[in-house]
Amino acid sequence: MQPRDTLTDNIPPHFSDRTIPFNEPTPFPLARRTVAVIASWLVPGAGHLALGRYGRALLFFVTIVGAFVLGLSLNGHLYWPTVAEPGSTFHYDLITVLWFFAEIGSGLCYIASYALGLGMTPIPQAAASPTFEYGNTFMFLAGLLNYLVIHDAFDIAAGRKH
Amino acid sequence: MHVLMMSMYAAMAAVVLATVDPKSETTRQRVIHGLKIFGSFLGIGLLLSWVLFPIPW
Repeated sequence: MQPRDTLTDNIPPHFSDRTIPFNEPTPFPLARRTVAVIASWLVPGAGHLALGRYGRALLFFVTIVGAFVLGLSLNGHLYWPTVAEPGSTFHYDLITVLWFFAEIGSGLCYIASYALGLGMTPIPQAAASPTFEYGNTFMFLAGLLNYLVIHDAFDIAAGRKH
Repeated sequence: MHVLMMSMYAAMAAVVLATVDPKSETTRQRVIHGLKIFGSFLGIGLLLSWVLFPIPW
């Protein structure tokens, strides 16, 4: 049997099994969480900027916008879901839906390029460029990485990570 | 050209993947994790190209 410790005995019962949080992340209010996620989609890194993670914000902005701009400069194409050929199982051509999903992840990069008419060269002419596939790959990369960044911003805003 | 593009792709992917990694807590851990991802991309890319090179189609 262990001897009783007067110091331990005098601790009130509601403190006995309590762990003291040390450097735990705290969740942001719902409104700020929502703003962070939407901003993160629109401008890569903007969500982290809204949450005060300035270093990450700059890193994500430079990397993702850089990948998108590089893709455009390599004659990448802005995809939009196209209607499949008659007799197909699905109404839309599935591969163009997937490509569109990948590219729209970069938010305003895609929308601004569409508005400015960049990356809109018709496929047969665009595909004649030797860097066409490289360009598409970098534009897909930008959008898909931004989905991860949006998720990261949400996790930080929800208090799941620093 | 192809190796340059592959390296740039690997670098961009490694930067973001290492930064969002929830297991890395310090900058040093993130840098090491990023270098591993970068190396893996390049290594697997070169290995696949070496394996696929003899296939004629």
